[in-house]
Amino acid sequence: MFQNRAEGLALALPAAIFAAIVFVLPVIILLSGGLHVGGHWSGEAYIRFFGGSLNRLVLWRTLELGVLVTLVAAVVGYASAFAIVGLSASAKGRMIGLVVLPLMISPVARTYAWFVILGRTGMVNKALILVGLTDRPVRFLFTETAVFIGLLQLFLPLMVISLVSALENMPRDVVPAARVLGANWLQIFFKVVLPLTREGLVIGGTLVFTGAVTAYITPAILGGSKVLTLVTLLYQRVTIANDLVSASVIALLLIVMSFGANLLLKRLATARNRT
Amino acid sequence: MTSSLTRSVVLALLLLFLVGPFIVIIAASFSGGDTLAFPPQGFSLQWVVKVFMVQSFRSSFALSMFLAVFATFAALVLGIPASYALARYRIPFGETVRTVVSSPIIVPGIIVGLALLRYLVVPFRIDVILALFLAHTALVLPYAVRVVSASLDNLRSDIEEAAVLLGSSRLGAFFRVVMPNIRGGILAAFILGFVTSFNQVPVSLFLSGPGVQTLPIDMLGYMERTYDPSVAALSSLLAFMSIGIVFLAERFIGFSRYV
Repeated sequence: MFQNRAEGLALALPAAIFAAIVFVLPVIILLSGGLHVGGHWSGEAYIRFFGGSLNRLVLWRTLELGVLVTLVAAVVGYASAFAIVGLSASAKGRMIGLVVLPLMISPVARTYAWFVILGRTGMVNKALILVGLTDRPVRFLFTETAVFIGLLQLFLPLMVISLVSALENMPRDVVPAARVLGANWLQIFFKVVLPLTREGLVIGGTLVFTGAVTAYITPAILGGSKVLTLVTLLYQRVTIANDLVSASVIALLLIVMSFGANLLLKRLATARNRT
Repeated sequence: MTSSLTRSVVLALLLLFLVGPFIVIIAASFSGGDTLAFPPQGFSLQWVVKVFMVQSFRSSFALSMFLAVFATFAALVLGIPASYALARYRIPFGETVRTVVSSPIIVPGIIVGLALLRYLVVPFRIDVILALFLAHTALVLPYAVRVVSASLDNLRSDIEEAAVLLGSSRLGAFFRVVMPNIRGGILAAFILGFVTSFNQVPVSLFLSGPGVQTLPIDMLGYMERTYDPSVAALSSLLAFMSIGIVFLAERFIGFSRYV
């Protein structure tokens, strides 16, 4: 540890000043735009925003998609993480590589794949017609289901890797011990595994929820203007109506949701631990 | 604890869901037909060839490459000294500095893009490309600081103190002792930053103008206008590019240790 404060500050300040000017200040001005309307501070913009039924629907849908994606990712994530930690070291490395790989690939390309799979002439519709379940193509694109599937595929890897590292840090013999003492699998999961891996679940859950709620590409491609989420609504309000006040309200909602999810998950995890 | 059969089934389903879609777009890129379909009708390379013929793809690819390389470079130039100061010095408001430089990762990209456009680019009449460069630098900065900080935390600080005691200047000690030891971390930060910037959509969304578009934004526009498999072909090419980069990075620096 070096004591020369001036030297330390001189090294750190360029980055801090850059981030403050290019990022922090513009975002603060944007957020204040919804609270400071017509020359005075008021919550008027928020009252008007929540008065619109479309806005309420979109907010609700965004939350619902975020919660659903997070829950399903947690269930699938635990199953996958258990399967992965049981592998031999080299197989585990390859498997984690395959799980992480999609994260490095353009989300546009990843979402576009679902466009091909779920489209009118896509694989799913061809299969449905072939087995005679339907005689006309079913519309999957531009539904909440399509957005849900796209988001899950996009963010599941984050949950899996968080849970894999959490399970790896769990002492190996606790599960056999609980088994010997007569616990069933449900008891083992909720009383032993969950409390010991809650940190990984909180990290994974926060990443997945925040990612799902603030995603632009997936709802834009797979939901279109039929299935708006807060982010696509924000984009539409700005580009179509130049409505910066609504944009500011939505921006604050998104930030509150991201931070709120983090706090709530942390609280839930510690509450579970105390019982 | 899981029997090996259930384990294989779970892993097969996981891979089908995560990796399967890529196989579909790769197959669709070699389609002989005119519209997007899977299974593809016939085989041809026409869509792969078309990707290289579309003028806007060429210019947006060049812009995305330029941004990814230079924004990441700029983020490292700002981020390495900042990480070093945060790791080795007791500075006033150190935590505030860390929060400020990491903040672009916490706030949704679309908000960053909009705020920049309205309150920096428009009032100060900043050029579109410069605006994109600034935005991407801010976006990559948190990754650079996080990865480089982690490398510095793993490096004992007494070796550079020893170098200083033996007569090296502080700067000399940094370049001759610290830098060679965190080279892997810096390279990993560069790759992570490059990929983040190259794939970035929400931040660039508002900042892209007519004629000045990053590749992913251009692809989004193209797929709204046309329904041919060229976007599938381009997606496959990008997927191969990412796989190549990650493979090489893993091979030479053990990339996954850093991210």
